[in-house]
Amino acid sequence: MIQTKRKRVPVRSLKEEEDDLLLLDSNDYDGDSLSGSLHSDIFDPEDDGSSEDGERESSEDEVDGLEGSDDNDDGDESELVDGSDQGSEQQDEESDSSEDEVAPRNTVGDIPLDWYKDEKHIGYDITGKMITKKEKPDKLESFLATSDDYKNLYKIYDEYNDEKVELTKKEIMFIHRMLKGKAPHADFDPHAPYVDWFICDDARHPLSSAPEPKRRFLPSKSEAKMVAKLVRAIRKGLIKFDKPEEELNLYLLWAGDSTSDQKSKQLTYIPPPKRKLPGHEESYNPCLEFIPTEEEKASYKLMPEEDQPKLIPQRFTTLRSIPAYVNALKESFDRCLDLYLCPRVRKKRINIDPESLKPKLPSRNDLRPYPDSCYLEYKGHTGKVTTISTDYYGQWIASGSTDGSVRIWEVETGRCLKIWQFDEAIKCVAWNPLSGLSILAVAMGRDLVILNTELDTDEEQEYIKELLHLGNVIEPNASVAAIARWLPDEKYGGIMIRHFKNVSSIDWHRKGDYLSTVMASGETRGVVIHQISKKLTQKPFKIRGLPVTAVFHPSRSYLFIATRKNVRVYNLLKVDEPVKKLETGMREISSLAIHPGGDNLIVGSKEGKMCWFDMDLSSKPYKTLKNHPKDITNVEFHRSYPLFASSSEDSTAYVFHGKVYNDLNENPLIVPLEILRSHSTSSNGGGVLDCKFHPRQPWLFTAGADSNIKLYCH
Amino acid sequence: MPKHYRPAGKKKEGNAARYMTRSQALKHLQVNLNLFRRLCIVKGIFPREPKKKVKGNHHTYYHVKDIAFLMHEPLLEKFREIKTYQKKVKKAKAKKNEELARLLLTRQPTYKLDRLIRERYPTFIDALRDLDDCLTMVHLFAVLPASDRENLEVKRVHNCRRLTHEWQAYISRCHALRKVFVSVKGIYYQAELEGQKITWLTPHAIQQVFTNDVDFGVLLTFLEFYETLLAFINFKLYHSLNVKYPPILDSRLEALAADLYALSRYIDASSRGMAVEPKVDASSSSQSNDREESELRLAQLQHQLPSSEPGALMHLVADNNKEVEEDEETRVCKSLFKDLKFFLSREVPRESLLFVLPAFGGMVSWEGEGAPFKEDDESITHHIIDKPSAGHVYLSRVYVQPQWIYDCVNARIILPTEKYLVGRIPPPHLSPFVDNEAEGYVPDYAETIKRLQAAARNEVLPLPGVGKEDLEDPQNLLYAGVMSRAEEAEAAKNKKKMAAQEKQYHEELKMEITASKDVVAPVVAEDEGEESVPDAMQIAQENADMSTVLMSRKKRKLYEAMKIGQKKKKASVELIEQRKKKLNDAQS
Repeated sequence: MIQTKRKRVPVRSLKEEEDDLLLLDSNDYDGDSLSGSLHSDIFDPEDDGSSEDGERESSEDEVDGLEGSDDNDDGDESELVDGSDQGSEQQDEESDSSEDEVAPRNTVGDIPLDWYKDEKHIGYDITGKMITKKEKPDKLESFLATSDDYKNLYKIYDEYNDEKVELTKKEIMFIHRMLKGKAPHADFDPHAPYVDWFICDDARHPLSSAPEPKRRFLPSKSEAKMVAKLVRAIRKGLIKFDKPEEELNLYLLWAGDSTSDQKSKQLTYIPPPKRKLPGHEESYNPCLEFIPTEEEKASYKLMPEEDQPKLIPQRFTTLRSIPAYVNALKESFDRCLDLYLCPRVRKKRINIDPESLKPKLPSRNDLRPYPDSCYLEYKGHTGKVTTISTDYYGQWIASGSTDGSVRIWEVETGRCLKIWQFDEAIKCVAWNPLSGLSILAVAMGRDLVILNTELDTDEEQEYIKELLHLGNVIEPNASVAAIARWLPDEKYGGIMIRHFKNVSSIDWHRKGDYLSTVMASGETRGVVIHQISKKLTQKPFKIRGLPVTAVFHPSRSYLFIATRKNVRVYNLLKVDEPVKKLETGMREISSLAIHPGGDNLIVGSKEGKMCWFDMDLSSKPYKTLKNHPKDITNVEFHRSYPLFASSSEDSTAYVFHGKVYNDLNENPLIVPLEILRSHSTSSNGGGVLDCKFHPRQPWLFTAGADSNIKLYCH
Repeated sequence: MPKHYRPAGKKKEGNAARYMTRSQALKHLQVNLNLFRRLCIVKGIFPREPKKKVKGNHHTYYHVKDIAFLMHEPLLEKFREIKTYQKKVKKAKAKKNEELARLLLTRQPTYKLDRLIRERYPTFIDALRDLDDCLTMVHLFAVLPASDRENLEVKRVHNCRRLTHEWQAYISRCHALRKVFVSVKGIYYQAELEGQKITWLTPHAIQQVFTNDVDFGVLLTFLEFYETLLAFINFKLYHSLNVKYPPILDSRLEALAADLYALSRYIDASSRGMAVEPKVDASSSSQSNDREESELRLAQLQHQLPSSEPGALMHLVADNNKEVEEDEETRVCKSLFKDLKFFLSREVPRESLLFVLPAFGGMVSWEGEGAPFKEDDESITHHIIDKPSAGHVYLSRVYVQPQWIYDCVNARIILPTEKYLVGRIPPPHLSPFVDNEAEGYVPDYAETIKRLQAAARNEVLPLPGVGKEDLEDPQNLLYAGVMSRAEEAEAAKNKKKMAAQEKQYHEELKMEITASKDVVAPVVAEDEGEESVPDAMQIAQENADMSTVLMSRKKRKLYEAMKIGQKKKKASVELIEQRKKKLNDAQS
C-alpha cells in the first residue's frame, strides 16, 4: 500500500513531470512487454511496475508479503526506475532504508503549498500528526554542501514532503533523453511493427456453431428493388451519366414581327431614359480650356458633396497612358439600381424658346393714350403724401400727408391753392363726386372732417354752408351713438364726425350724400355710413372679419366691403346678408377698385398681387397678376378710359389696359402698359402710397413717400 | 368620423387601390426581397409614381397591375421550385450524403428567359432600342476577372466576351458604326441599326478592379438577362446575313485572341458561300439592276395578283426603297478608309481598332501571329503607333497615333496626318455626341474640322494651317466681307451716337431736378422725341418683364426655370471662354 501511495505522491517541479511522462511511456510500452511475456519467461520487473491497475498492484503486494526476497523489485517499481541491475539494487537498498526512515509522508493532497507557507508544519502524515518543517540550510551551507559533495548536484528538493531527493542515474538519463525529444526509455522503439492481438483465421473452435442462415445465400430483395429503381431511372433518363452538353437553345425569336400588333395586357411600358452622352470634357484628350485650373479644383473640394462635379476633366497625351476607370463597376451598378428601383414617369420635356411662353399681347402703341411719362410734380408737403383725390372736373387735386396738412393744388399749373393744417397725420381725403358740391372729406385719426373748399360759385357756396351747418342733429339710437358723434368743426367751419376707432378709409356714394367710413379695428362695427344732408349715421350691417375698405357700386345700391381675405357685396336696400362673396385667395387685401361698368373689380393685396374679378363669371378671380415685389397700396380704375393702375411700396406704379366688352362671351382684355418708376426709392419704407386717375384725361396722379405728387400724362 | 373613413365592405378607390408599396407587394406575392428583386429585374417591372402617395413619401410604389403581372409569371413558381430544391441539396450536404448532393446538383431545375424577352420586346426594334445598357454591361463583364468570391464564373466572362465579339463583328461587317469617342471612362461607340441609335461603352482593355460598394447579386441578375437578350439579338442579326449562329471559329485565330478577326472572316466566308441564294444577291447587285428587277417583279406580280391587293405591292416597293436608302447612309462609312492599309503596332488598343477600321472599310493587320499581312508589306499606308519605336521606319507609310483614326471616323473625312504624327501631342479629341451650336461653345478644333469637311465636300484641297489661324482671330472674320464690315461700322457709329445722347439726357435731367428742388412750379420734362433715346435694351427688358405679369403662375415658374437653365448654360460657356482667354494670354 505504501508503495502505491508513494507512487501517487506528486513530486513538484521536474520530478512530477518526469513521473507523468514515465507513466505514459510505460503505457505504450505495456503491450510490447506483455506480448513478450506470453512467449518468454523472463520477467522484467520494471515493465510490470508501470501498470496502474489497482488489482494488479494489490496482487503484487500479496506477492510482496509472501516473498521477502522479491522486495527489491517492488522497491524498484516504486521508484519507477529502469536500468542496470546494479544500480537498481543500490537504489533499492536506499529506498528501502529511506522508506523506513521517512515514515511521515504528507497527506494534504494536491493543494497549493503556500497555504502552509506561514505554518510550522507542512502537512499531516497518515496518522494525522503534523509534519513539522525542517530547518532550511542557509545558502552558504548549501553551497558548501554542493561543493563538498558532487552528489548534491543530483539532489532535488521536494517541497511537498520537505525533503531532498537524490536523482538516480537512470532518472538523469531520462531527463537527458527527454530534453533531446526522444522517448525516455532507451529501448523503446516508437516505430515498432504492429502486432495484432487476435488471430483472424478461423479458429478450430468457433464461438458459435450455428449453421449459416439461408438468407446469406439468397439475393437481396431490397437491393434488387433499389437496382430496379435505378435502372428505371436510367431508362427514363432521370440519371444521366455523361454531363449534357450545354446547348444555346437559340432560335429566331422575332421571326414574325408582324404579330407585334397584339395588345399586351400589361401597363404601358416606359422605356428607361438613355444615359447621357459624353461631352467634350470627358475626352481623354480634351481641349485645354475644359480642364479646370488648380484653384477651381480646390474650390470643388469646398463644395457640398452633391454639388461637386462627378468627373473632373483630365488630359492624357497618349492613348496608352489612360488608366483603368475606377468607377466603372460602380457606375454600372448605379445604372442597374436606377433601372429597377427608380419610378419611371413619362415627362414632357419642353424644348421651346422660353419667350414663346409669354402671352401674345396687342402692341402698346395701339392702346394709346395712357400715362407714360412724368409731366408735373407737386411739391410742398413735408411728410409722406398718403392720399390724393381729384374733384369732379379734374381741375383740382387734394392731397393729405403725414405732416398733418391737406392741400389743394391746381392740376394744370401745379400751384398750391389752399392748405389746412391738422394735428394728426392725414389718412384719407375724398372729394365729393358731385359737380357743384366741392366739399372734401378728410380722415385723420378717429376724426372725419368735412371741409368746405370754397372753390365754387356763390350760390353753391350758400348751399354748402347750409349743408355743413350742424343744426339740430337727430338723436341717434344708442348703438350708433357709441360709434360716431357729429360735432361742429370749430377750426375750419365744417363738420367733424368723431368715431370710436381710427378711420382707415372713406368713400363717397355716387350721389354725394352718403359717405362710408371703415374702421379697420372696429370689427363687427367697422363700417358705418353717414348721410350728410340729414347728419345721420347708420350702421347697416354686421361685418364678418376685419374690414379693410369699403366701396360703393358706381351705379347700383351695392356696397363692396373688403375684409382681409374676401370681398363681400351687400345690397344696401336689403342688408341682411351679403349678396355675393368673392374669394381672392390672397393673404391680406389692401385696396379695392370697381370698374365704372360695375361688373368688374380689382383687388390689390399686401403680397404684391392683384386680382381681377369678373362678377358675371365667377366668384373666383378671373386673373391674378403678380406684378409688384412689395405691398400694393392702391388700385384704381379710370372713369372713362379702359385703364387701371396699381401703386406699390416698391416705388413703382403699373398702368394697365383693362378693356371690358359688352359681349358677355368675351373675357376682359388686360394688357400691362407701363411701369412708372420716377418716385425715389431711397426714402425709408417709401414707395408710392396712392394713385388716382384724372377723371377726364388719361392721366395718373401718384403720391409718393418722398413727399411729392406726380402727374403722368400720355 | 375620421377624414378618410371608408365604410366596411366598400372597396378602396383611387391611388390607394391602384398602387401598393413594396412591402405590400412582397406580402402579396409571398416572396422574399431577393426573389422579388430578381423577378423585377428579369420582368422589367419598375416602381411607379402615384399622383398621391397614400402610404407616405418614403415608400416605393408599384402598380397593382404590375404586381398581378408578376403573380402570374410562371417563373415565380420556378424560382420557388429552385428554392425548395436548394433546401434538398443543403439537407443532403448536412447529412454528409455527398453522393446524393452531387446527384441532386446535376439535376437542378433550370429556367429560360426567351419568353420574357419576347414579352418585353415584342418587336426587334424594341429590343434594339433598349440595347444600350445591355451592351455596356456585357462589354464591362467581358473584361472583368472571374472571381469566386463574387460568384462570377469564368464561363460567364467567356460568354460575355464571345457575345461582344459577335456583336462587333456584325456591326463591323454591316458598316453600321457611326461614331467613336475615346473618353476617360472607356471608348464609346455609336452604331445605327434599323434606325435606332445604339450607344455603348467599352472599358479600356486594362484589368478592372472590384469595388466593395457594389452588390454583385443585382449585377449578375441583370447580366443573366442581358446575355440572353444579346444572344438572341446576335442570332437574329446573323440570321439576317444568312450566317449560321453560333459561329464556328478558326481555332488557331481564337487561340491567338484574335476572335474578332476570326469572326469577321467567318462571316465573310459564309455569306460568300451563300451568295448564290436569292436573299443576298439583291444587296450585292447594283442599284440599277435592283430597280429593273423590282419593276419586272412588280409587273409579274400585277399579273398574278388580283387587283384588290395593293398593300402587298406597296410593301414590296417599300422594301426595295429601304435597301437603297440604307446603302445611301452606309456608303460614306463603308468607303472612308477604302484604299488604305493599316498596320497596328503592339501598344495600340488592338481590339478597338480591329473593330473600327474594318467597319469603315479599311484593311488591318497587326503585329503577331495570324495576322493577314506582315509589317514589311510595302502596300501598308498607315502604321498606327502610340510610342516612338526604334524599329525600322518605312518611308512608304505614315506613322500616326490611334487618335487620328477616331477623329477621321467622327469627321467622316481623312484628316491631315501631320498633327497626329508619332511623338507629337495630338490635337484635342472632341466628342462627336455634342451639338456645339446648341451648347453655345465651339472649340477651335471643331471649327477646323468643319472647314476641312466643307473643303472635302467641294473637292477643294484645304490649305494646310490656314484654317485654324483664320478662325482664331475675330478680326479676320470681319475682313471676310466688305459689306458686313461697312454695316458693322455704321452700327457702331449709331451706337456711339445713342450713348452720347443718352448721357446728355441724363445730365440734363439731373440738372433740372437739382434746380427745381425749391421751386413748386411745374417741371416740364423733355420732349417726347427724346423719350425713346434711353437704352433700347432696358426698354426691351421692361417690356419682357411686363408680359410675364400676365402669365399664369405655372407658366411663370416654368419660364423662370427655363431662364435659370439658360443662365447656367451661359455661365458654363463663359467660364470656358474665360479659361481659354487666360490660356491664350499665357501663351502670348
